[in-house]
Amino acid sequence: MITIEDIDRLAALAGIRIDPAFVAGVAQAMETLLAQGRLLTDPPLAAEIEPAAVFRP
Amino acid sequence: MILLDRPIAIAGARSIARAVRSGELSAVAVIEDRLERIARLNPRLNAFTNILEDRALAEAAAVDALVAAGRDPGPLAGVPFGVKDNYDVAGRVTTAGSIINLKLPPAHEDAVLVRRLTNAGAILVGTQNMDEFAYGFTTENAHYGATRNPRDAGRSAGGSSGGSAAAVAAGLVDFSLGTDTNGSIRVPSSFCGVFGLKPTFGRLPRTGTFPFVHDLDHLGPFANSADDLALVYDAIQGFDAGDAACAQRRADPVSASLAAANDGLRVAVLDGWFHDNADDQGRAAVRTVADALGATGRVTLHGAERARAAAFVLTSASGGNLHAEALAERAEDFDPATRSRLLAGLLLPANLVLQAQRVRLLFQAEVSAAFRDHDLLLAPATPCAAPLLGQPTIGVAGRDVATRPNIGLLTQPLSFVGLPIVAVPVAGAGMPIGVQIVAPPWAEALALQTAARLEREGVVGLEAANP
Repeated sequence: MITIEDIDRLAALAGIRIDPAFVAGVAQAMETLLAQGRLLTDPPLAAEIEPAAVFRP
Repeated sequence: MILLDRPIAIAGARSIARAVRSGELSAVAVIEDRLERIARLNPRLNAFTNILEDRALAEAAAVDALVAAGRDPGPLAGVPFGVKDNYDVAGRVTTAGSIINLKLPPAHEDAVLVRRLTNAGAILVGTQNMDEFAYGFTTENAHYGATRNPRDAGRSAGGSSGGSAAAVAAGLVDFSLGTDTNGSIRVPSSFCGVFGLKPTFGRLPRTGTFPFVHDLDHLGPFANSADDLALVYDAIQGFDAGDAACAQRRADPVSASLAAANDGLRVAVLDGWFHDNADDQGRAAVRTVADALGATGRVTLHGAERARAAAFVLTSASGGNLHAEALAERAEDFDPATRSRLLAGLLLPANLVLQAQRVRLLFQAEVSAAFRDHDLLLAPATPCAAPLLGQPTIGVAGRDVATRPNIGLLTQPLSFVGLPIVAVPVAGAGMPIGVQIVAPPWAEALALQTAARLEREGVVGLEAANP
């Protein structure tokens, strides 16, 4: 459960100002995002799997 | 409520171009007809945000002058089209469905694809509604209103290219251009019952369009037939150095070979994630298409759920990054549906973003393996047919889930690895639903030929403009 306090703390650490009126919505969106994020980290990936390349020299 | 209240005399890009090129029909007459139809129906549909009447009539007159002079007016002569509001149109601000962008200067030239279409004789008649910054699947825009589905005005047209799909379904224009980052061409195609093409990532240059997620954004057309889709696709292909992701490949024209038989295709239905997250109508639509193609195989793409999660995370993080400055300075000017997700994306741990890019390579390998044994894969385009506007939940796999984040469940994993896909409309008892014809990278021609074959056999396609 992501709380308003969690978002306030994260935003302060990242140097991002979020209007108090919007924090509850951000907490809800973060809850959804982290639920998706958990699918990315469990089970862990093999070390040889690299990130997809974006940069093209 | 059906909004399609009268047939139009000549419809379809190929038919119009043929008539205009032969001098049988004037381009000005075509444009006047569509402008009248737009004036009558758009106030209820809200598919267009701007009508470019003067420009359209001037360009149509120029096409007619070429015909009168015996010169070639181009393969799309006199064909009216619209573009999503994230394409640059000379002299207009590219809003991308936001009010944030109203501070930007007007575009000094058209987007590359608009220029190519204009050079081919097509006539731009307006810009079309979308979810703010393309971040949504319903085109319920807080600033510019909701686009209504032409087949049922109480229902969503889908998004984020909802205005573009609705305009084609209603016969306001004969094709449109949209964008697809996570499903924004395929979802509105499915809901509105039109054909949509999302080409391979890197096939079409995005030069002159407003970005959302640089390494997921695709451009592509909507039309009422596979033939028209191919005709438009042929006119917009080709490398452009203005888009760093655009592949240096030659154009691969498909129109001339659209009737290719392609006998012996190995076609399989996507199982697992793509079956489990579809309703009965979606599954039946896929079965109908599969039967017509003689498809007997089923393929499970392991990791599809993870790929969808990775696309979800990357989208939020990249979108947040793109709009970080505006979120800090003008958060109150964002659509509430967009703002919370972009702000959350700004706060995501870097670990998840990097992990998402690793998942991408893993899933790409899984998909490549599937294409070693199959030429095409089939899946529903959406978990269900068009929901009601404002409907908070949809039923997926026997449970109610929030509508907006879940409409892209079946499109996101596939665009995440850049595959070319044609969404084809399958009629239902009520609303239609789309089926994705998924091809290996750069095999757009195969997907379009298959869509055309299904259309010829009466398996897909709807009488859009003639209720």
